[in-house]
Amino acid sequence: MKRVALVGAGVGKFGVRKASFRDLIWEAGKACFDSIPAVKPKDLQGIVVGSVMPERTAFQSHISSLAAEALGIKPSHLSARTEHMCASGTVGIRYAYAFIAAGLADLVMVLGVEKLNQPSAEEAILNMGTGVDREWEAAYGLTAPPCFALAAQKHMAKYGTTEEQMAMVSVKNHNHASRNPYAHFQKGATLDQVLCSRMISTPFRLFMCSPITDGAAAVILASEERARDLTDKPVWIQGTGQVLDGFTLSSLHEDYSHWPALKRAGEAAYKMAGIGPADVDVAEVHDCFAIAEIIAYEELGFCDKGEGGRFVEKGLSDYGGTVVVNPRGGLIGCGHPLGATGIAQAAEVFWQLRGEAGPRQIPEAKIALTHNNSGMGEHVVMVYGKERP
Amino acid sequence: MTYFRATDPYPLESAEQTKLHEFYEYLAASRLVTTACRGCKRMDWPPRGFCPQCGSDQYDWVDLPQEGILHAFTVQETGVPAGFDKPLIFGIVKLYELRLFSRIVETEPAALGVGKRVRFTPLRVADDSEGKHRYLPAFKLAE
Repeated sequence: MKRVALVGAGVGKFGVRKASFRDLIWEAGKACFDSIPAVKPKDLQGIVVGSVMPERTAFQSHISSLAAEALGIKPSHLSARTEHMCASGTVGIRYAYAFIAAGLADLVMVLGVEKLNQPSAEEAILNMGTGVDREWEAAYGLTAPPCFALAAQKHMAKYGTTEEQMAMVSVKNHNHASRNPYAHFQKGATLDQVLCSRMISTPFRLFMCSPITDGAAAVILASEERARDLTDKPVWIQGTGQVLDGFTLSSLHEDYSHWPALKRAGEAAYKMAGIGPADVDVAEVHDCFAIAEIIAYEELGFCDKGEGGRFVEKGLSDYGGTVVVNPRGGLIGCGHPLGATGIAQAAEVFWQLRGEAGPRQIPEAKIALTHNNSGMGEHVVMVYGKERP
Repeated sequence: MTYFRATDPYPLESAEQTKLHEFYEYLAASRLVTTACRGCKRMDWPPRGFCPQCGSDQYDWVDLPQEGILHAFTVQETGVPAGFDKPLIFGIVKLYELRLFSRIVETEPAALGVGKRVRFTPLRVADDSEGKHRYLPAFKLAE
């Protein structure tokens, strides 16, 4: 297998955007090409685009070709769209990685783009229901918040995790986002603000949930030979894992605070990278809701099972702790433009491992992890490093 | 301009539209059923037309108990999808070893608790495009 590295990354502004689907592609593509002047659109051999619901929000299919044309890319080796709900971006990175590792392409862009705030909040929420089983879940009015709320209820009852501890995840991530110019929210947040915000689905209050966000992000992956030509600071893909435990709530593990698929995806990525959780300096995890970050600490091995609430309370997932989690602000602070989230996570660790993260820089970060999930039952983990694997 | 009709959030339930139509026919008659594989007798929720254990696509419809135990629940107070009225109570109901995701209706949220008994009740939803009645299985606090 060939070794594969990230050589470029760019993120557009996340938020409730007055911008077209194509505008968002242009913004992220431009930012990504600006990060690596040696690569021009004509040099790319392929593009993979992670995007979940443009059919509903932009009345548009055939997304990878649209994005290729918008950016002047003429794919000669690979062109595909990945739709995998919230993990679409990272699933796209895995496709490009596998193609390059297999020797089928040398230089590929992976772009994630989503325009969700269309045409109204209630309709955007209705659209989000496409990510759960239409016949057996979405028809009842189910969307993501009640699913993860069941995990929070169980975690609180079983391990004594508190609302305050969940709120601490939100405060940390909002404060990190205040240092990220691409974030949806940039004002920070206090514990009182989180705990006094309106109830969404018991026990989640508004600030414990990621918002519905528009945005796009892009990265460029290269084979080792191309990466060496293009940059002195490639960021290597060292490991990856993806595991599905179940799709519907009826088929997941009956303890909703226990996410075996995440544990297994993490272990697969660690094994491939030849590292363990203690080696990770920075992690971008999928905090779609505050409880998800707490469970991610546990399943990824940053702390023991059940200790996630106390882990954030002690500041161990913040700067100066054992692993800095979500320095860009996570989904809670940056927003969650589905297909773009996994790519924005990769962009953040690209900057962190190259020492280019500005006010968010984690000193001497060498190994980074990203975690993207599609519901509680499916998880994708990537390990990146400064060192060639 | 039929292309511009509204989104239909409910399942296509009729015999012309789904292999599982009998589930909905039983439901309309206030019976809660699921599939049991004819090959290996495996019972599933949701019902399924293909057995992942033995590979058979032959099944029988079997009755489930009308009462079960509330395994988990949450009350969604805001942020419900267009076309749905808040609050929505979502619950996981245990019937035998199966866990059914469903809605809890006709019940005060404060009266609910994990471990309480809930009783099956069909919930009428919007008719399909041909005017046929449609139902989903729901539950309410028992007693």
